[in-house]
Amino acid sequence: MTLLAASALSGGYGGAEVVREVDLAVAEGDCVAVLGPNGAGKSTLLRLLAGILPATSGTVELRGRPLAAWRRREVAQAVGFVPQSVSFAFPLTVAEVAQQGRAPHLGPWRPPSPHDHAAVAAALGRVGLAGREGAAVQRLSGGERQLVLLARALASEPRVLLLDEPATALDVRHQLDLVAILRELTAKGVGAVVVVHDWNFALRVANRVAVLHGGRLRAAGAPEEVLRPELFRAVFGVDVELVERPGGVPFLVPRA
Amino acid sequence: MKRAADVTLVLVLLLASAAALLAGGPAATPADAFAALAGGGTQEARMVVLGLRLPRLLLGIGVGAALALAGAALQSLLGNPLADPFLLGISGGGAAAATAAFALLPAAALGLVPAAAMAGAAGATGLVWWMARGPLGSSSTRMILAGVAVNAAASAAILTILSVAPSPRLPGALAVTMGSLASANGAAVAWLAPYLFVPAFVLLLHGRDLGLLATGEESAAALGVEVGTVRRRVFLAAAALSGGAVAFAGVIGFVGLVTPHLCRMVWGQNTRRLLPRAALAGAALMVLGDLVARRAVAPAELPVGVVTALLGVPFFVVLLRRTS
Repeated sequence: MTLLAASALSGGYGGAEVVREVDLAVAEGDCVAVLGPNGAGKSTLLRLLAGILPATSGTVELRGRPLAAWRRREVAQAVGFVPQSVSFAFPLTVAEVAQQGRAPHLGPWRPPSPHDHAAVAAALGRVGLAGREGAAVQRLSGGERQLVLLARALASEPRVLLLDEPATALDVRHQLDLVAILRELTAKGVGAVVVVHDWNFALRVANRVAVLHGGRLRAAGAPEEVLRPELFRAVFGVDVELVERPGGVPFLVPRA
Repeated sequence: MKRAADVTLVLVLLLASAAALLAGGPAATPADAFAALAGGGTQEARMVVLGLRLPRLLLGIGVGAALALAGAALQSLLGNPLADPFLLGISGGGAAAATAAFALLPAAALGLVPAAAMAGAAGATGLVWWMARGPLGSSSTRMILAGVAVNAAASAAILTILSVAPSPRLPGALAVTMGSLASANGAAVAWLAPYLFVPAFVLLLHGRDLGLLATGEESAAALGVEVGTVRRRVFLAAAALSGGAVAFAGVIGFVGLVTPHLCRMVWGQNTRRLLPRAALAGAALMVLGDLVARRAVAPAELPVGVVTALLGVPFFVVLLRRTS
């Protein structure tokens, strides 16, 4: 079943279109990696899909209904969004940030229930932050902050997860944890869209990739079909070699 | 521990209120005042306690709660620990409009002063927000600078009006710029009530949204906040609270800045829990500040704005050094 579908989606900032006529569908269990050069419109596409940036034309549908027909809170209940970073003006604790993920389910007055607390604890445990609930996020490293934001999104128990470069500040151990988390979620039927720069990360985690170039969708499909040397030359201007490994995930190496 | 802090807060407010009613000059000694409150006492003591001290106490509670709520809400909405109705020029804008209303309106229409103050505060809020907002959202530095500009413009407007306004109106206009609870009466308290209760309800309704907005508009929108709607409502509520406070007590600085931070230190960053406690703490702080203002140099009296500034400026310096 299709969870999130964009058709002829365009949008940007202050009249300048950054994303142009993109078609993209995320079904249950899909993990779509979005790749592209800097400034290709990847983060903008993610904001459009989350509905936090209004489309200038085209539509995004959540479970077959346009985003505009849902209330903002209903969208947030179904779609988890992990931004690249968040500015913490106040000394919030790890637990306080993770609890924000439950806000879409609570509304203005209802206090958190045992289920809400359990979801937050499970999310913090899953990203490896159990025991760090009382730490101030302002004092955490960039990578740890990314994990807190991931925990916040997991705590909301979304049907679709949108992640904007979630692995950039993570060490290799936590990158592998992230791969495992995404695989677990997709195995449960959650759909995911991950903006990444690391092609090999995409190969490990995604069942489909979408390559953006100049705001337009340049290619989309299964990773091994899309991530070909010709595409890299055209989009990134680099020569790459696809190294096959018997029985394992292939990997891409740029030729210096 | 937080439960104990709640109890302490209520006790402090009750004790400060009792002190504000009982303490005073020879016209009503504590014993006289107690008798008056119990329904007896001399006519003079009853007049002083029920006609002067009680309205002044209630106005102090209302103004302190209004400023602290406005400050707490603006800090979260703007994601800026330095936000405060006074520093952002919102109180200044309200004061300029209130001064103009005092000077220009016929005496019969002075009931419109609070509405003018609210409109001035709303105008100043919009102006600061518009000036501070760049292509990537608003920055703390730009926002404080915008507040400086609006405050300077408000001061200039107030001084111009005071220079040219007809003299019989000046005492009223001067009271607005000084920040004092001395002109409190029953009517002022009744007028302030709607400027306090309606916006306070709006802010409590959006308490959770405000907590999410403190981590940025994009982040809040992703968590289900209707950012545009909430921002408009909170700005209007903060303007009404600040405008109401300015109209009846003049410009009183730093209560809106200091109180929410003190509460954050005790009760944490959960905005939904913070807002009602900030309101109570602002009320307690204002009542205590006014007590000091009344008694420190008795029989003369300091404007309460002087006391809150003496308390608030060092706090602001510390906060500025700590905030990146």
